[in-house]
Amino acid sequence: MATQASETDQAPGRWARKYPELGQEPLPVTPYIDPDYYQKEKDRIFKKQWLYVALEREVPEIGSYKVRRLDCADTSVIIMRGKDGKVRAFHNACSHRGNTVVTEDGQETYGRNRAGVVTCRFHGWVYDALGELVSVPQEERFYSCFDKADNGLAEVHCDIWAGFIFVNVDPGPVQPLKEFLGGYADHFGGFDYGACDHGFTYHTTLDCNWKVASDAFAEAYHVDTIHAGSFPNVFEGAIEDVQLFGPHRTCSVRLQVDNLPQTPIGDLANARSRGSLAAVGGATTLPPTLNPKRDEDWGFELSVLFPSLLLHVSEGIWFTHQFWPIAHDKTLWEGKYYLKKPRTYSELWGFERSMVLQRNAWLEDTATMEDTYRAMLSGAKKYQHLQDEEILIRHNCKVVDEMVGA
Amino acid sequence: MQPLCKAADVPDDEPLRVELPDGHAVAVYRWEGAFYCTDDLCSHGEASLAEGYVEDGEIVCPFHMGSFCIRSGEPRAAPCSVPIAAYKVTVQGEELLIDRM
Repeated sequence: MATQASETDQAPGRWARKYPELGQEPLPVTPYIDPDYYQKEKDRIFKKQWLYVALEREVPEIGSYKVRRLDCADTSVIIMRGKDGKVRAFHNACSHRGNTVVTEDGQETYGRNRAGVVTCRFHGWVYDALGELVSVPQEERFYSCFDKADNGLAEVHCDIWAGFIFVNVDPGPVQPLKEFLGGYADHFGGFDYGACDHGFTYHTTLDCNWKVASDAFAEAYHVDTIHAGSFPNVFEGAIEDVQLFGPHRTCSVRLQVDNLPQTPIGDLANARSRGSLAAVGGATTLPPTLNPKRDEDWGFELSVLFPSLLLHVSEGIWFTHQFWPIAHDKTLWEGKYYLKKPRTYSELWGFERSMVLQRNAWLEDTATMEDTYRAMLSGAKKYQHLQDEEILIRHNCKVVDEMVGA
Repeated sequence: MQPLCKAADVPDDEPLRVELPDGHAVAVYRWEGAFYCTDDLCSHGEASLAEGYVEDGEIVCPFHMGSFCIRSGEPRAAPCSVPIAAYKVTVQGEELLIDRM
């Protein structure tokens, strides 16, 4: 029961009618399995576009830093808050002999130094949060052609939108972040992401191309089959409110309001907390751009912030999937789920139940990805056939192909 | 003896940098209920020790993680090897005074 049904085009082929430029033809598998295609994606997308790397609250104080590894751009970046309160980003590479300045302990490394500096552990070179080289032990032993002033950290473009920190490692001038986000920023900028100060995260490395992983989350067609266990009859298989914003895209996922599963435990949890997507949520935290008609069956907004961030917003909840390419056939997936810190034990219990439900769903999702990729590698099928409700995937294929071919 | 700062100015958990009238900077520490004072400049790098961390009665330099005893100024961890000056702190009412003789 989609309450907007009477007003909008519901007939099969509706999204192709709205976006005829995307075509309807089968799409080739080659971009998913060809190492050369991936090399071009690195050079022309991941080293050229803005990438979401941190939340502003992850670097809360002067001297706080996060290091994000970016295999897709052959680097890792230090994101650091300086004494002036401003966040800047730098390649994590020492000017001396190229060691990583901050020793990384994984894909994401966090730290703080009250002095607002980072020190290379190899020979003790010290850089401040402006990227300037402030101390070189035994500096007098370097030759006269060496000047500290010329040997700061290599800065990368860094900007912030709605508390999300982005970097762009392109050494040349780049499109401003605001312009890159375009209408996407207006659509999502009104939600208070900072208010959701509690959450959980899962990650794993998958033997598949990043687009296989991203595609698997960018449609609701799979919900009936893949999520028959965790979300039985919870969501509609069709998406609504599809909008494309340049390379970005969004839609809403609808609840089967009349079919929502009722279990004693689920009912208790949903009555005590807004933690799960599998319940009617209301709209007290939503800006007017999200669920504008306040439909009861509106479950959550599912969006792709190009190239590889999926941002979802629901009542009192937001979550992301991020797909970090490591190689053409290897992808780091990170799922991060945020909600308001529980105030009572019953809320905490409700949230814990939501977390387990969501974990199960994500396990169901990620379980297909390596299988899909092995089958693609077999070469048995040269094309994939997308239906109309998989329009977000078609849009991604087109955007990636245009940039790679550019 | 000369005035240093008010006792209340020194935070519980981190040092305070004080620039004396002649421009010399010192770091003031509150540790286990008592006050201590050393030179602010590390004798190894060019760091302000007041931006470091106090651990077990030692000030850990924020540049290279060497350390000094906050009572004596003696180096306690490499790469620091040259002592820094430490000053006796006297509490007089709400004021802290140091002796730089």
